[in-house]
Formats: sequence, structure tokens, C-alpha cells
Amino acid sequence: MIKYVFKRLLYMVIVFFLISFLVYCLFGLVPNDPAALEVEPLRDQLDPIAFEQVYQEARARMGLDDPLGIRYLRWLGLYPDVDSSVPSGVLQGNLGWSNIFKQDIIDVIRDPMKNTVRLNLMSTLITLMITIPIGILAAVKKNTAFDQSVQVVTIVGHSLPVYIIGLVCIYIFSVKLRWLPVGGMKTAGENLTGIAEMLDRAWHYILPLIVVVAANLGSMTRYVRAAMIDVLSMDYIRTARAKGLREKVVIYSHAWRNALLPVITQIISWFLKLFSGSVVVENTFSFNGMGALNVYALNSLDYELAMAIQLFFTMVSLLGLLLCDLAYGIVDPRVRVNK
Amino acid sequence: MREQRKASRLVTWFYRLFVNPGKEIDALGEDQITSPGKQMLKSYLHNKIAMTGTIIFLLTLLLVLVGPYFFPIDLSYNDVTQMNVTPGMDMMKVPSSIVGNIREIEPGNTFGFGLTEDGRIYCWGKTKVTNTIDLRDIPEEVQNASIAHIAVGSDHVIAVDGSGKLYAWGNGRLKQLDVPRSAQGRTVKQLDAGMQYSALLDENGELVLWGNENATDCKVKKAFQGQISQIACADTAYIALLKDGSVAYTGFSINNVLADIPEGLDTGVVQVAATATTAAALKADGTVVVWGNAAKGENRVPETGSRIVRLYGGRYHYTAQLEDGGVICWGDNTHGQSTVPAAVTTNADIRYMTSGCYQNYVITSDNKLITWGLKGYLCGTDEMGRDVLTRLINGGRITMTVGAVSVVISLFIGVILGCCAGYFGGVTDMVVMRLSEVVNSLPFLPLAMILSSVLGSRVSQEGKIYLIMVIQGFLYWTTSCRLVRAQVLQARENEYVVAARAMGEKESSIMFKQILPNILSQLLVTATLSFASCMLTESSLSYLGFGVVAPTPTWGNMLKGANNSIVIQQFWWRWVFPAVVFGLCTICINLMGDGMRDAVDPKALER
Repeated sequence: MIKYVFKRLLYMVIVFFLISFLVYCLFGLVPNDPAALEVEPLRDQLDPIAFEQVYQEARARMGLDDPLGIRYLRWLGLYPDVDSSVPSGVLQGNLGWSNIFKQDIIDVIRDPMKNTVRLNLMSTLITLMITIPIGILAAVKKNTAFDQSVQVVTIVGHSLPVYIIGLVCIYIFSVKLRWLPVGGMKTAGENLTGIAEMLDRAWHYILPLIVVVAANLGSMTRYVRAAMIDVLSMDYIRTARAKGLREKVVIYSHAWRNALLPVITQIISWFLKLFSGSVVVENTFSFNGMGALNVYALNSLDYELAMAIQLFFTMVSLLGLLLCDLAYGIVDPRVRVNK
Repeated sequence: MREQRKASRLVTWFYRLFVNPGKEIDALGEDQITSPGKQMLKSYLHNKIAMTGTIIFLLTLLLVLVGPYFFPIDLSYNDVTQMNVTPGMDMMKVPSSIVGNIREIEPGNTFGFGLTEDGRIYCWGKTKVTNTIDLRDIPEEVQNASIAHIAVGSDHVIAVDGSGKLYAWGNGRLKQLDVPRSAQGRTVKQLDAGMQYSALLDENGELVLWGNENATDCKVKKAFQGQISQIACADTAYIALLKDGSVAYTGFSINNVLADIPEGLDTGVVQVAATATTAAALKADGTVVVWGNAAKGENRVPETGSRIVRLYGGRYHYTAQLEDGGVICWGDNTHGQSTVPAAVTTNADIRYMTSGCYQNYVITSDNKLITWGLKGYLCGTDEMGRDVLTRLINGGRITMTVGAVSVVISLFIGVILGCCAGYFGGVTDMVVMRLSEVVNSLPFLPLAMILSSVLGSRVSQEGKIYLIMVIQGFLYWTTSCRLVRAQVLQARENEYVVAARAMGEKESSIMFKQILPNILSQLLVTATLSFASCMLTESSLSYLGFGVVAPTPTWGNMLKGANNSIVIQQFWWRWVFPAVVFGLCTICINLMGDGMRDAVDPKALER
């Protein structure tokens, strides 16, 4: 098991470097010259030759003339800075400087990060809590009216874009019934503290949560149902039933544990989709999260911030992959042996 | 039961028509061996849910492929007077009871007002000009009075009764309703209104104007008072016909395009008319002179066999009555307002006619109402006054094209890489599979946003559409790659491949000519399902503003900007129609995909 975990970890690290390098190169394509930006105010005060000299000095100080690889390592924090011999980059917690917020990026993304992680973890939990029982029940009651209605509802949920579900939910719950806020993070103009603040925040979380869960119910239920049906047609289930085991034991202990394997594989890709899909939800509800911040950063051309956010999404997806791999290793002993 | 039999008979006919013509299926025939392809098609055609999905999808496809020829889109179109109009086709629906005794019709931007011989006011069309103001709410005193003349602006109405008392209602935010005391009690000769101002001309030739003075040149020079015999109101200025038969610009603004009156209009003019930005003068010999900002062809007066006797100005078009009783139109024809119906092109027996904004009304002597122009919008309009239906149809074409091309690109990459990985195995397999794993673990939407934002700044509008296709193709190939690889791995060991190899066929030929056809059906399933997800992704990107950007419509970017409560509540048609059509379309595609999977993999049917 340890060898397996180590192997997966190594793989993650390699993929992380690959993706982050890719993203760094991508942003390198943007015509962006921080040195020119910095020395621009001096243009009128200096004669062209002196100006050129200052400009080149600034370039050297920022290390803009170094090869791409070195600049990437410096950004990452694996190569010493130009002016000091100590590396200071992403790995040291220095994500850079946000131009629009005039703040260190790490401070800018702290709150949105918390919100996004909270929203997605909660919706994951809720979705799994709803879909697994429904999926199992639909599989057990295959071809009944219940199963068929689940099939129809899930295909609809699976096909509709998230933002359409969001719009409909806003229309019903916020506009018509006026139960829930249209969007935002807290009630504007009110200064709440303590429990009142928490309740207010929870109140603003409800609608985004409903939408994320509703949008993801479909695909997950279908996976669970398909996996369960496959397992339920196996011979050992017949044996278990013939043995006279109670139906509950057959389904939850014999069948479900085996159905879990393909479901976990699906959870990987689903979890990734969830996080990147929350970009849309956050925008629909003006939710202060990483996705909405990403849109804002890209629209206002703050590429350093966008890069940090992309890094966050990459980390989350890799972490999700790793977790699922580990879960797979725990549930299925064969994986540990083979790899 | 009968219903079911009917449905299955339909399927049988379809089957005989296209798949197996001329062959009667009897009890013996059923037992004959059918090829897997036919078997699949048959089981697909008998799957009712999938067939329903297919039919709806095909209808949508037909709509978006053929529709753009009937509803061509003008990307630069934008019209403030048609903003956020509710769906409906009743803009020229004059109540049939009043057609017989109409004295005056005043066309508005999206509505019409009618005045009957007994002084009653009626209205039709979309009279709601703002959230709270509805022109249909005619004040009680107006309903009780006997009205002599009526005029409408873009969001206000004025009326005058027999004793010269003026009434005004509608939007008064820009002083449209501030009727000056001096205007009351005159014998009215002409009542007219421009966009945000009104004008009253009395029998003595004196003119009174009021309204939004900041945006409009609604003043009159003292020297002309008493000489004016007719006026014509454009959007922000007016021109006057003087009693001596000359045309004059009697306002104060010298920069206005209408102030630049062409030569030869100092005598012999019998009538003036105006569109939004141009003015026209009709001379006694039937010639028409148009001046002003004629960007939509208002100055292209057609040659006629007969003399023009009367002139009416719409918003961007002129309508003229001929001496022989015919009617001609020229100018803008976006809403069909310049397409004169055959009934009135010649020898029409016209009792009353008028024209304004995008509407034309003719009432014949036998009290038949003939209208042409803008009837309304089936799905309403958006915040720029663009027809939602037109955008829906043209947007669907782009959304579907983007989806289809993305799928083709992803299939191309996926099939080639998958074939190579499966067939050659070893290092190739490992590299391709690791690559697909990396691509699969990329956070898709954020990455696509970054790609579109970084690369999108260097390409044109149209280039961006292609960019989205390529991005999606390059991020979506992993599904088909894995499928092809698994299938090829399985097929590699089959006898027919061994045989082909023994016969000395080339590797590439074995791969693409022997193995690939056997997995085509499964590829089709994947392609269908990823077509839906590509459309979804494109629309999500467009919704966020990183996909195809306005004014090029797609189903995604039509919903952009819909996520605020005002739009959601008040302008429901702006998001409901695209959402319904798009949702229906993706649901149908997924139903098709599911049906195909069931047909291709009979084992799945047992589920």
C-alpha cells in the first residue's frame, strides 16, 4: 500500500509540474511587460539613452531576460530570485501581486477559496447522500414506475445547463416566492455578528447549493444505478439470496460494496467537473468564490491572479484524483498488488 | 393498445421505406438473419423514447439549418424603440368593431391608437412603455370627452377635444406631458408628436411646442408664427410648410441635418412629411425631395407611372399615395414595412390611410382594413431591440455548428491516438494513456476560459468561434480515445485481424479498414453524447463571456446578462425561450445517445 501511495504521489507531482508549466507558458503568450510599465513614468524625465538603461536594469532586476524555464522555476519558488539568493515563489506562499486589488494575491483569494471549498464540499456531501440511496433503490426496483421516473428526471437534470437550472430556481424561489436572496454573500447594509451573521450566510448559501446539487444529481444517480444493476445480475448475488440472506444484507453488504468500485472511478471525474462547474453557479449568484473571481480577473486582465486561481483549480483536481486513487486502493485490494 | 399498434405500424412503414424497401416481413421473414447494422437500426427505431427525441431533435436541426434563410440576421441591428418588447403579434390589430367609423389612426413604436368618428379613443399593441406606465390607462376625463385629434410620441399620448382642451398621458419624465397653458383652447389644425415632444398647430398658423428641450429642437422662431400651414415631426426636430408654399426649418438649431433644406423648395410645396432622421417635401407636380440623414434608403424615391398626391413618413420609410389610387413605399424594409400588399398597389379605393413607425394602415371604402409592416415579435425582443426568435434560430445554428465541429475534431484526435495506442501497445500506449489522463485531470472550464481569454485577444470575432471549436476538440478527445483503444485491444486478437495480417495487409490499412468499421457504432454513441456536452460547454463559456461574444448570437450568450432579478422577472421571454429550446435540444440529444447505446449494446436492454 505504501509503495502504491508513493507511486501515485510521484505521479501527481509530475502532473502538477506539467500542468503548471503549461499554464505558465500560456500566460507567457500575453503581451505583458511589467518592466515597461514600471519605468513608463520616467520616460519624460530622462533622455532616451538613460531611459533605455533604466529599462534594461528593470528587466534584469525582474529577471525578464532569463530563459522561460528559469522564470517558471522562479515563479514556482525553486530557483533563487535575482536580487536575493533565497527563492520566493508559489511554494513559499508568494503567489504574486494582484494589479486590480492592489494586494498580495494570497490575501485576495483567501475568502473566495474558503467559500468555494465550503460550497463544493457541502454540495458533494449532499449530492452523494441523495444519489446513492436513490440510485440503489432505482436499481433494485428496476423497470418499475419509480425507476422510470428517476430515469426521466435524471436525464433532464443531466442535460440541462447549470445556469438554466439557476435561472429557473431564482425565478421560483427568489422572484416569485421571495424565500431566498437572488445572490450575493450577505444581506447588504446590515451589520450582523455572531450567530446572526452565520445564519445570514447560510441563508445565502442555500440557493447555490440547491442548484449545484440539482445539476449533479442526474449524472451521479445514473452511475450508481448502472453499477448496481451490473452487480445485481452477478451469480454471487443469486447465491447470497439462495442462502437465505436478508434482502438488506444482500443489497447493502454484498452488492453495494462491489458496485462502489466503478462508482468511485466516476466520482473522480464528477468531482473535477463539480469544481470547475461551480464557476458558472458562482457567476449566476454573484457568489464570492474562486470561479467568480476567475472571471473577474480574466475580464480585467489581471493575469497573475488568474494564474494563481488556475493553480488552485489544478491542485484541487489533483487532490481529488489522489483521494480517489487512495480510496480505490482501500476498497479494491487488487489495485495495490497490481501497481 | 391501439395507440401502440398504430405507432409500431408507423415504424414499420418507415423501416420499409428507407431500410428494406419492397420486402414484406412475414412470420418466416422475421426469422431470417439480419445484419448487425440492420438489427441495431431496427431496435433503435422501435425505441419510442429515443425516436421521440430524434424527431424533436431533427425538427430543431431543420429549424436552425433552414431558418436562417427565412430569418436572416443583421448583426449590427439595434433599435432603441423596440427594446424589451413583449411577445405577441397584435401591434396592428385594430379592433374590428371600430374599423367602420375610424377618423384617425396614430401608429406608435409598438402600438397603435385609434380615434373614432364619435370621439372615442381605442388602443392596441404593446402599450406598456415602462415598468409602471401603460399607455392603455387612458385617463377617465379623456374617455368621457369627445376627442377631435390625437397624436402619439414614443412614450406619451396627447389628445385634444372639440373645445380645444388638451389632454396628455404616458411618460412625463422628460416634460413630454407639460402642456403649456398657451396651447389650451385653440382651434386645432394639426396635432403631432415626435419622440419626446409634441406640437400643436392652430388654424391661425401659430405653432406651440413642448417636451424634452435638451434632446429636441422643439422651439419655434417668432418670425414664422402665423405663417405655418403644416408641420412634420422627425425624432428630434421638425420642419414646417409655410402658407406661401415654401419649406422652412423654424427651429433654432443650425446643426440639425434637417435645417439644411435643399434648393428648390421655396415654392410650390404642397405637403411635408418626416421619418426619424429625414424629411420630405411633396411638390405640386408630384415630385418628392428628401433630405436629412437618409441611411436606410429613404431618399431612393422610386419611379412611378402615376403622380404622388400624398406622403406619409414612417420611422425609416415613406409611404405615398398615388393619383391612380395605388400606394408605394420606399426606404427600410427590415420589418416588411415597405412591402406593399398586392391589394393596394393599384386602383385601391382608399377611404383612409396612414403610416408611422413601422406600421401602415389602409382602410378601403368598403371598410376593409389592410395593414403591413411590423405586426409584433413572436418571442419578444431583447435589450437592444433585436428579435429574440431571429437570434434563437441563428444562435442555434452557431451553437450546433460549434458543437458538431468540436466533436469532429475530438473524434479525429481520439480515434487516431486510440488506434495507435491500442494497436501498437507498449510505449505508445503508455504515453497516449498518460497524456489522456493528464488532459482529463485538467480543470476543464477554467482552462478553457483562460485559453479563450489569452488567445482570444489576438483573433477576430469570427476567429473566436473557430478558437472555441479547437479548444473543445483538444480537451474532449480522451473519451473517444479510451473507447477506441479498448475496442482495438479487443479486436486485435480476432481472427479476421490475424487473417488480414497473414495476407500481408499494411498495419494502417488493418487499423482503419478492418478494425475501425467494427467499432463505428460505438463511436457514434460517444459522438452523440459528446455533441450534447460540447454544446453545453460552449454555451457555458458564452454565458460567462468567454465563448462566442455578442452580437453573434448563440444559445449560451443569449442568456448572458439574464442573471439579474429584473430580467428574470420582467423580461421573462429573454431567457425562457432560449432556455427551453436549448434544454429541449440537449435532452433530445441525450435521449438519442441513450437509445443508440441500447441498440448497439443489446445486453444493456436487459437493464
